[in-house]
Amino acid sequence: MTNHKYFFEKGGFKMDISMKHGAEKKSFRIMKPPKKAIIFMQQHIGTCNEPLVKKGERVLTGQKVGDAKGTMTVPVHSSVTGIVEDITKIYHPVSNRMETAVIVKREGKEEMESLPPVDLNDRKKIIELVREAGVVGMGGAAFPTHIKLASEGVNTFIVNAKESDPNLVCDVRLMIEKPEEIVKGIKLMAKALDVKRTIFATRTQEGEIPELERMMKAGGIEVRRVTPSYSVGSEKLLVRELMGKEVPCGKFPPDIGVAVNNVSTAYAVYRAAYLGEPLISRGLSFYTQNTGIDNLWFRTGTTVKELMGGMDEKISRYDRYILGSLMMGWATKDIQTPLLKYTSGLTAFTKKYARPYEKQLKCIRCGYCDSVCPVDIYPSLIMKADRESDVKALKRLHVEDCILCNLCSFVCPSHIRLTEHLFDGKDKLGNAD
Amino acid sequence: MKKHVNEEPPHIHMGSSKNELMLKTFLMMSVIAVASVMVLGLGAFIHILIALGTVLIIHCSIHSFQIWKGMEPTYASPASPMVAGMIVGLSMPIAAPFEITAAVAALTILAFKYGQGKYFKRKYLNPAAASKSVLLLLLSLKTLREGMLLHPHHLDLNLATAEGLQSSMWIFGRETLPFIGTNLSPAQSLFLWQTHGWIGGASSLVVLVVGSIAAYWLKFKWRIIVSTLVSMTILAAGFGVYLGGDPVLRIAFHVFTGSVIFLAFFMATEPQSTPMTNTGQYAFGFSLAVLTFGLQLFNVLGGSIIALVILNIFTDRFDKMVLKKPYGHKGVKG
Ligand code: SF4
Ligand code: SF4
Repeated sequence: MTNHKYFFEKGGFKMDISMKHGAEKKSFRIMKPPKKAIIFMQQHIGTCNEPLVKKGERVLTGQKVGDAKGTMTVPVHSSVTGIVEDITKIYHPVSNRMETAVIVKREGKEEMESLPPVDLNDRKKIIELVREAGVVGMGGAAFPTHIKLASEGVNTFIVNAKESDPNLVCDVRLMIEKPEEIVKGIKLMAKALDVKRTIFATRTQEGEIPELERMMKAGGIEVRRVTPSYSVGSEKLLVRELMGKEVPCGKFPPDIGVAVNNVSTAYAVYRAAYLGEPLISRGLSFYTQNTGIDNLWFRTGTTVKELMGGMDEKISRYDRYILGSLMMGWATKDIQTPLLKYTSGLTAFTKKYARPYEKQLKCIRCGYCDSVCPVDIYPSLIMKADRESDVKALKRLHVEDCILCNLCSFVCPSHIRLTEHLFDGKDKLGNAD
Repeated sequence: MKKHVNEEPPHIHMGSSKNELMLKTFLMMSVIAVASVMVLGLGAFIHILIALGTVLIIHCSIHSFQIWKGMEPTYASPASPMVAGMIVGLSMPIAAPFEITAAVAALTILAFKYGQGKYFKRKYLNPAAASKSVLLLLLSLKTLREGMLLHPHHLDLNLATAEGLQSSMWIFGRETLPFIGTNLSPAQSLFLWQTHGWIGGASSLVVLVVGSIAAYWLKFKWRIIVSTLVSMTILAAGFGVYLGGDPVLRIAFHVFTGSVIFLAFFMATEPQSTPMTNTGQYAFGFSLAVLTFGLQLFNVLGGSIIALVILNIFTDRFDKMVLKKPYGHKGVKG
């Protein structure tokens, strides 16, 4: 897997995305429901859920198994029908901590607990439905969608179909397979937001998905082609690219009248509203050097092991797994790791695939990292300030503005993984404030 | 290794390496070296060979010693020392004795490349410039002891007047462009074909072309190059108008002598010893031009080298100057 070397200043990074060329033509393979679904209580940004079920209890597919009080919460649902085998703390692949999970053993005939139908003309009811369906930002952010939809003063809704990461293609595949459903989802979200203008931001070329484009046009949705450069998928950067304005520091897009949601999220909203199905399944791009990219449709809570088994891949061949994007996702060795609501990709690497940041050299102050940073901060100086624990410098260098796109590490000729310094720097600054 | 999360992102890399960067820099400088040998002949070739050879012999000895002692080698490949050697070769005046080139090369690799890296964690001073400065200092002490403020070669120069500049330029005014047979004026000679001064600056045109390609391809700190050359041009034009005389000649002299043009592209952009921030780089280039220009007016031998070393010391200060405004701090646009 090699990557091209063109780069221009200010984050307009043209990354080689050849590994996903043609993969959008591969239909979703529907994976079997897992034998055991591991449902983490924490699958969103915000307060952690409490289990609503007990060990030994029978649960249905789509039944709520965890929820919490408060605004920044979204429930989680069982993705299979079966018996709660255990409620225990297991290792969470993203928070990097032990977190509570409900483990459901699939048993008997699948029975579905659907969401109650609501009046889809009522803004408040749509927002409530989206919350009850457990919908979160599916591009990887896991921000509760109902909070975004409830924002006041929004006049433009951007649907993010940028999918700029080099290994992800499932959004585009979804656009090919489910155009009507996506448009319906988008319209519902636009209604909830009460906006007049909806922009569909896509990396696809004109005529690539004619059906979707026709439906968008008929639905009054503006289609905007965005440059295929990495990291512009970040919602703040997308706002700058499309609207020509920036989201002020410490604020969110709705503060300047814009709401951004991912295209897969719109599809999840459709499923909740029209099929009564909470967020218990989603698409994912699966990659190994052996198979190339495949698009899979899986139930949340499926473990890496089961998914690999479903793909007839010998688990012993692989050494580590990347959840989500190769640029932003975390690696795990644990094959029992469950896939979450916001897992958009799974990449399995063999031992032979070299770790590009294993041998880090000294910083040569070439400034490559600084020149590609899309938010105009100085990762090289932040690294120095972090090493010296110089909180004053971290503040002056605005480490808090880093969007963790990891472009800086990607271009570093000394192969320094700056990520750890950016995380640390943010922590140090946070602790000092 | 732990069973769980092991690695932070990212998991892919662009594919370039420090080594590759160094080799490409060496390659670009080799083009300049070829041009210089064409202009200056065998002497230039021997200087470059001595510089490269000295650096490589010392590097290989240290490298072998480190391997023998089971230490992690400071430079896994000879690419970076080779670049240092090439810079020394190209930054030597053609009239310098060969042993001085060997001495500068040895000092560069030993004290300012290996030594600085080991004892100061990073290179604060440009290795070739620092070692040349040390030798210049020794030379100046010698001339001072002999009762002369300036080096004998520069005693008669008076670049602070129009006449002084004009009369000093005889050294550049005797070239004939080979193949075409055109006689060159001093200004033309400074731009195209100069047989006096730094080996690397024998053809400013070649340095400009190759340097620009290298700066674009290898992402040199181009702001330093631009601000140095633009500031130098403005200063020279301004003084040219103020002092009278031929302004083109003054610009050609202050911008196209090897010690300015080669230094601006290949030494002042040395990554470790120069600022990281955009404003810092512009300010660095501007200060380099002002300081070099001032020292040139006072006929100080090695003015640009001294200016570079002085500014290297203040690199961290330059980095504390105005920073780019990050996203979201610029207010609403458009
Ligand atoms: S890209 Fe790497 S080597 Fe270059 S300045 Fe940044 S951290 Fe240092
Ligand atoms: S990870 Fe942060 S510092 Fe690095 S390029 Fe992205 S935004 Fe800039």
